[in-house]
Amino acid sequence: MSTERFHEIVLPLKDKLYRHALSIIRDRSEAEDIIQDVLLKLWDKKKELSQIENLEAYCYRATRNLTLDRLSMKSFRKTETLDMKSFELTETTTPQTLFENKETASIIEQCIDELSETQKSVFQLREMEGMSYKEIAETLDLSQDIVKVSLFRARNNIKSALLKKDSFIKENKYGKRTNR
Amino acid sequence: MEREQIDKLLGKYWNCETSLEEEQLLQQFFSENVVPDNYKNVAPLFLYTHNEQKEKLSDSFDEKLNQKIEERQKKYITIKLFAPALKIAAMVAFILALSFSGLFWINSTKKQHFAETYNDPLAAYKEATLALDKLSLALQKSEKASLETLVQLNELNVDWDFIDSLNMEIYKNEEEIELKEEQNLKL
Repeated sequence: MSTERFHEIVLPLKDKLYRHALSIIRDRSEAEDIIQDVLLKLWDKKKELSQIENLEAYCYRATRNLTLDRLSMKSFRKTETLDMKSFELTETTTPQTLFENKETASIIEQCIDELSETQKSVFQLREMEGMSYKEIAETLDLSQDIVKVSLFRARNNIKSALLKKDSFIKENKYGKRTNR
Repeated sequence: MEREQIDKLLGKYWNCETSLEEEQLLQQFFSENVVPDNYKNVAPLFLYTHNEQKEKLSDSFDEKLNQKIEERQKKYITIKLFAPALKIAAMVAFILALSFSGLFWINSTKKQHFAETYNDPLAAYKEATLALDKLSLALQKSEKASLETLVQLNELNVDWDFIDSLNMEIYKNEEEIELKEEQNLKL
């Protein structure tokens, strides 16, 4: 692969790969560092890249492997909750809803963190990247059935956590009223 | 979107039966509209995923990456440029080593076994004649000595015929003994 082709095909994937790494490691600077390493490694063997059938899937796998390596090497603690800047942008939010949204977001993140690595990656590729089941299967080297099952479990785990939280809030509100 | 439609889509969504387009519709609905109260529990999920899609590398990333790529390219170019030079240098070194070892080998085969130790030929000639004189003297002495021994032997007047007859007797005696032994064996 020529330098121009590398710039045309591989480099535009950088943000997608970054989001994928970020979904696993949940640390922006670390994820950025990983993507730089991945892209430089790909650059070093750009001659071999033209022989690869599904280059995007290959790049995703390279990113995923390096991120998981980094995660196990540093025994990275996923304590950082991605900041909620986007939640703050919605027009209808008030300080109260922002607080509730932050809390809800952290619940979603906790749920995602509790998923298996496969479920997490399947969820991320479907929800954030809008990939088809076939594309996810190719990217993660899994069967389409496993992809569907993983996504089903991931969505339903998050759903039950959100419903639990909602009923907890309602109970609290109801409790406060009765106390009065 | 109608409430019924949302309910239907949500049901399909939890069962993983929605298409990508339908999922996009749900995301749009929950992120762009004022969410009705009865969906407030699940809305944050769509808002969350919608916002995660906006995550991007920092602005300085491209600059840093290009810098690193340029560094690598420079290294690659220097190696590429110097590769033929290195090849030539290796060839020259090989040829030099080969020719030097050849020269040494030729020199070692040409080496004289009798080295010239005299600068003056006359002195060498003198030394040579002296050595040869000594040798001839020694030979003359040994010749004289052997002649003298022969003379002395003659002067001893040894009776050689008598010594020969003694020898013959011994020989005869031995033959007789052998014959007797053979006969004894036959008996």
